[in-house]
Amino acid sequence: MIFNSLTFILFFAVVLLLHNLPFSWRQKKINLLLASYLFYAAWNPPFVILLWISTVVDWWAAQWMIRSERQSTRRAWMIISVVVNLGMLGFFKYGNFLLDNFVLLAGSLGVVYQPPKWDIILPVGISFYTFATLSYTLDVYLRRARPAGSFLNYALFVTFFPHLVAGPIMRPTELVPQFEIERRARANQLFFGLALLTLGLFQKVVIADGLLSPVAESVFDAHGKVPLTLDAWAGVLAFSGQIFCDFAGYSTSAIGVALCLGFAMPDNFRFPYGAVGFSDFWRRWHITLSSWLRDYLYIPLGGNRHGPARTYAALMGTMLLGGLWHGANWTFVVWGGLHGVYLSAERWLKARFGGWRPNTAQLVMLSLLTFMAINITWVFFRAHDFATASTLLQSMAGMGKGGAALLTGFDLLAAFGLITVIFGTHFAMRDTTVEAVIERTPAVAIAAAWALMAFLVIIEQGRGNAFIYFAF
Amino acid sequence: MPSSTSLSEPPRKRRTAPRVTPKADAVPERIHDGALPRGLRLTASDRPGQAQPVPVRDIPDQPWVRIGIAAAVALLVMVGGWEYWARSYGLRTADIGDSPQAWAEQRAAVKPDDVLLVGDSRIFFDTDLAWFERLTGVRPRQLAIPGTNGRILMQDLAYDPAYRGLLIVGMADTSFFRPDGAGIGGPWISGYQRNREPSQISGLWIDRWLQGRLAFLDDDLRFSSLLRRNDHGWRAGVDSPYLDVWKISETFPGRQTFMWHRIEEPGYLRAQARGAWHNFEGPVQKPAITGRVIAHSRRAVEALRRHGGDVVFLRPPSAPPIRANEEKRLPKARNWDALLAGVPAKGIHVDDLPNAQGLYIPEWSHLSRACARVFTDAYVRRLVQLTPRLRLRADAPPPLTPADCLKGVPANR
Repeated sequence: MIFNSLTFILFFAVVLLLHNLPFSWRQKKINLLLASYLFYAAWNPPFVILLWISTVVDWWAAQWMIRSERQSTRRAWMIISVVVNLGMLGFFKYGNFLLDNFVLLAGSLGVVYQPPKWDIILPVGISFYTFATLSYTLDVYLRRARPAGSFLNYALFVTFFPHLVAGPIMRPTELVPQFEIERRARANQLFFGLALLTLGLFQKVVIADGLLSPVAESVFDAHGKVPLTLDAWAGVLAFSGQIFCDFAGYSTSAIGVALCLGFAMPDNFRFPYGAVGFSDFWRRWHITLSSWLRDYLYIPLGGNRHGPARTYAALMGTMLLGGLWHGANWTFVVWGGLHGVYLSAERWLKARFGGWRPNTAQLVMLSLLTFMAINITWVFFRAHDFATASTLLQSMAGMGKGGAALLTGFDLLAAFGLITVIFGTHFAMRDTTVEAVIERTPAVAIAAAWALMAFLVIIEQGRGNAFIYFAF
Repeated sequence: MPSSTSLSEPPRKRRTAPRVTPKADAVPERIHDGALPRGLRLTASDRPGQAQPVPVRDIPDQPWVRIGIAAAVALLVMVGGWEYWARSYGLRTADIGDSPQAWAEQRAAVKPDDVLLVGDSRIFFDTDLAWFERLTGVRPRQLAIPGTNGRILMQDLAYDPAYRGLLIVGMADTSFFRPDGAGIGGPWISGYQRNREPSQISGLWIDRWLQGRLAFLDDDLRFSSLLRRNDHGWRAGVDSPYLDVWKISETFPGRQTFMWHRIEEPGYLRAQARGAWHNFEGPVQKPAITGRVIAHSRRAVEALRRHGGDVVFLRPPSAPPIRANEEKRLPKARNWDALLAGVPAKGIHVDDLPNAQGLYIPEWSHLSRACARVFTDAYVRRLVQLTPRLRLRADAPPPLTPADCLKGVPANR
C-alpha cells in the first residue's frame, strides 16, 4: 500500500493503536514486523518471499562472518550475500533490459536471435531493500558494525514499513539499535509526526500529482509533437518540481510515520534545488542513496586516494551505475553520466579556483546555474527514449522545428509559479532545517498551515498514484 | 555524492576500525525536544566511509497538542463547508463514482454465461440495468468504459476461453472504428491485475464507504480540476480546460451510470458539456482502416462463438449536431452496414427502433436518465427477437414510448 491511500490511513491507525497498547516490547516488535509484511503484501503477496530470502540469506551470511576468523571465509559469505541480493535485483529489474540489449548486440553482429519475451514484474521497492540488506552484510564484513542482536531486530530492520519500499535507505547501525529498547512516541512527537506526514502528503498529492504531473505529461508524453521553447521549459521544470515533491514528499511522510511510532529516520532531502554546485546538490538530494553509493561503490573503487585519473574514473563509474540503479534504460545511464561529467568538471574547477569565495549575488547565480543544469539531466530521466529527449532539448534550445503550443495558460502558470516558489524556498532554507523554521513560527500560523494542507490533500482526493521512486 | 568525500575520506585500513554501534543500554535518546541549532544535524553526507549512527530528529519547541487540536477543528470546519457547498451544487452521496478498480471488480466477477455490456460511454449511460432485468429477468454486467474503443473490450472477452455468454457491444462509430488504441480504458484493461491487488480492493471498499457519506468525493471536484477550469482559454491556440468533459454523470452500485441531473437542466453546465464537442470534427475515415477493424471484429466474434458465446452490436443515439459529423466522417453504409455484413453477428441500430426516436440527449451524446430507460426498453425488446439467450418475462411491463421520458423536458432543447 502507499501512504497516499485510504487503506494506509486505516492500516496506520491500527498499527498506532497496537503500538500504544500495553504489550511487551518484543510483542510490539512482532506486531510491527507482521504489519510491515502486510504493508508489503498489499501489493503482491508472493513477493514477500523475496523479502524473506533477502532477510534470511543476509542474516546467516553475517552470522557466519562473525563466527569465522578466516578472512577468506568471511569474504566468501560476503560474496554470497552480494550475489544473492544483486542476483535477485538483476533478474527482476534488469532481466528484460539485458535480454533486449543482448538481442541488439547479436543483431549488430549479424546473428538473428529472437527469444520469447520475459514477463517479469518488478517487485515494489526491491532496489531499496536490497541496498538496505547489502549494507548490513557489508558493514559486518568491514567490521563497521556488529551484527544485530536478534533475528527479530534484523528482520524488522529490513522490513520496517516506513522505509521499506522507497527509503530513506537505512543502514543497520541507524535502525537496529532503535529496536533494542522500547520506543513509543510522546504526545509532541506524535503530533509533530502527523504534521510531517501531512506535509509529505501535501507535497505528493497536491503539488506533484495534482498540479505538476499533468504539465510534465503533456510535454513528455506528447507523442511526437514538438513543443515550443516555452512549453518545453515549462514541462521540464514541472517535472523537476514533480519529482522533488513526489520523492521528498514520500521521505517526509516516512519520517513522520516513523516518528509517530517513536523511531528516528535520517533526512533524505535538504532543499536540493538551493544547491550551489553539483557535489552540494548530491549532499542534498536523496542523501541516503548518494551516501550509500559513496560508501559502498565510490570508495571501494578507489575514491580520491589514487590520483586524479582514478578519481574521475571512480566518479564516472559510480554515477553511471547510480543512473542504472534508477531504471533499466539507457536514458538513465545518460542521466547518471551527465551527473558524473558535472561532478568531474566541478572537481577540476575547484582544484584550480578553490580560493574563490562568491558573494550573495554570485551564489544566487551559481545556484540558478546548478538548477538549470540539473534540469537538463531531468530530460533524460523522464523521457521514455532518446528521440523524445532530443526533441525536448532542441526545443529548450530554441531549435525545435514546427513547434506547437502544448500547454494551457494554467499549466504555464502552475509550472513557472510553483517552480519559482520551490527554488526560492530551497535557496532561502539551504542553511537551516524545517524544524528550525517551524520553531520560530507562531503556533497559530502552524495550526492554520497544517489544517490548510490537510484540507487541500482531502479535497484533491488523490487517485492513489504510486510514488515515482516505487518503480526504481 | 562521491565528490563530497573529498578530503574527509577514511584511511585505507578502515576495515579494522572498532565496532561503533553502541550497546543496548547505551542507546542514546535520538528524538528530543527543540530544534537543533543551525548546521548541527549532520547527515550521512557528512560522514563518509563510516557506520552511520542512529539519526537525530528534533521536535520543534511548540505546543503540539494544542496545535493539533486547533488544526483538527479548523479542518473539520473547512471540510464541513466544502461538503455543504458540494451538496448545494447538486452532488449526492448516492453517487459512488467509477474507477479502474470498480471496472476490475466487475471484470473479475464475470461468470461464463453472463450477459455483458461492453463499449464506450454511450451504452454505459444509455442502459438502465434494472429495467433490463425487469424485462428479461437477467441483470447484465456493465463493463463499458467511457472514451474507450468497444472493440478492444470485445476482444478482451472474446479471447477469454472461460467466457461463453452474450456480449452486447455498444458502439459510437468514431470510437469503434478508430485505427488504433483503446482510448481511456486501455490502462484499465492492461492494469486489470494491478487493480485486483489487495490494497486496491481494500481501497475500493473504503472509498465506496466514504463516497456513500460525503458528496464532495467526486473525481471532477478535485482541487486541481477546479483550479484548471478557471482557465477559459488564457492561451491562444490551446484548447481551454474549461471545455474538457467535466462532471456529466452519476454512478451507482454495479457501475449503473446515468446523466447527472444538472446536465439535464438548461444552463451553463449543459452548455459547457456541449462545448466539449466543439472540436469533434475530424478527417474522413479511410476505407482501409474500416476494413481492418471489421476483420479484427470478425476474428473476435468467431473466437467467441467457438467457445459458445455470441455477440450483438448496439448503436445508441446521438443528437443531430453530433450525428451529422459522425456521418460525415464515417457514413453508416461504410461502418454499421459493412460491419454487419462482414461479421457473423447481429446488430440493433437506434434508427431501426421506432420507440427510440426523438429522445432527450442533453449534451448531445448521452441520453437523459429517463430516456435511457426508454432506449433500454426499446433495444431489449428487439434483442430478445435476435437471440435465444434472452426472453421477455411474462410479466414484463408494456413498451415505453418517448413520451414516457420527455415530460418536463424543455421544448428548446
